[in-house]
Amino acid sequence: MTDTVTPDTTMTDTVTPDTTMTDTVMTDTVTPHTVTLRGYRSEDAPLLTGPWLRAELLGLAPPGVPGTADPTVVPPPRDATEELCILPGAGFVRFTELDWVHRRARLEIGLQPGAADCARSALTSALTHALQALNLHRVYGWATPDAGAPTDLLAQAGLRQEATVPEAFWFGGRPVARQLWGVILDA
Amino acid sequence: MTGTTIARLDTAAAVAGLRALPPEAARGFFDLDPVTQNDALLAKEIDRTGVQLYSCGETLLGCRPNPDHPRQAQVASTSSAPEPLRALLGSLGTYQRCTSFFALVPQDSPVAAAFESCGFGRVGTLPEHLFHSGRYRDVVIYYATRGDTCLS
Repeated sequence: MTDTVTPDTTMTDTVTPDTTMTDTVMTDTVTPHTVTLRGYRSEDAPLLTGPWLRAELLGLAPPGVPGTADPTVVPPPRDATEELCILPGAGFVRFTELDWVHRRARLEIGLQPGAADCARSALTSALTHALQALNLHRVYGWATPDAGAPTDLLAQAGLRQEATVPEAFWFGGRPVARQLWGVILDA
Repeated sequence: MTGTTIARLDTAAAVAGLRALPPEAARGFFDLDPVTQNDALLAKEIDRTGVQLYSCGETLLGCRPNPDHPRQAQVASTSSAPEPLRALLGSLGTYQRCTSFFALVPQDSPVAAAFESCGFGRVGTLPEHLFHSGRYRDVVIYYATRGDTCLS
């Protein structure tokens, strides 16, 4: 099966047709980065540890976090409720809480320091993979504005803010609100 | 057992309790669906998600601490009556030091009345989050602090 990637006219990304059986390839014209999603291999384990917040939709290094803070570690996939893809050299895309009846999943993206330029393409690739490879109806995830979540990028990718849960995350010595962002993919 | 006495349930008893409830009250309880899921799958999902389940009379109650803020818990109930839920919230506040609560309730579920009676307010809606009976359905997120849930 070959993925067919449809160019998104609202984005500045240039979409390259898929050249492999399972990968989703996106080229970001803003930066020289080419974002290619592929399956997880054991040698990718270092990419699963980083400074992002746990379960963050678009995980980047939050500002102001002390160097003594423990990094977040994402476990390798354990069962059919998770799909873990790798952005080689940049980070990971993880679909968790996968539910094949409701056709939905919670999305997590973690980008290593220095790979923040890939954020837009990583997000677009993840949504394309969710629709075309996983055939999901809905994708959602957590964003923490107090930790500098790039909500403008989420909105540009077509997600919208669906809820704000106060005191949902402990950050910077106090509980802060967390937002749920989501999108209906096959509307 | 009557009144607002809460008793911890093991997985098998919780599955039996869910199975005995009317579908409109049980569907969506921590994403479980006794209409389409058999007992083995219900037990597997309960164990996988780590939900703590309780009974209060005929009502099934559940809670799960928020791993990102242990003083917050996700709660659920299968009754539209507020008393069992209020008893659970009081217990969580007293013995687990929870300071805030949230709940995911299917749109138009009769259980929403219990949350509104206990001081919960809507903080968002997840569109088309559930699929059953041939169509997608929205899920409402309710939130309350411990102070909101106290009787005045």
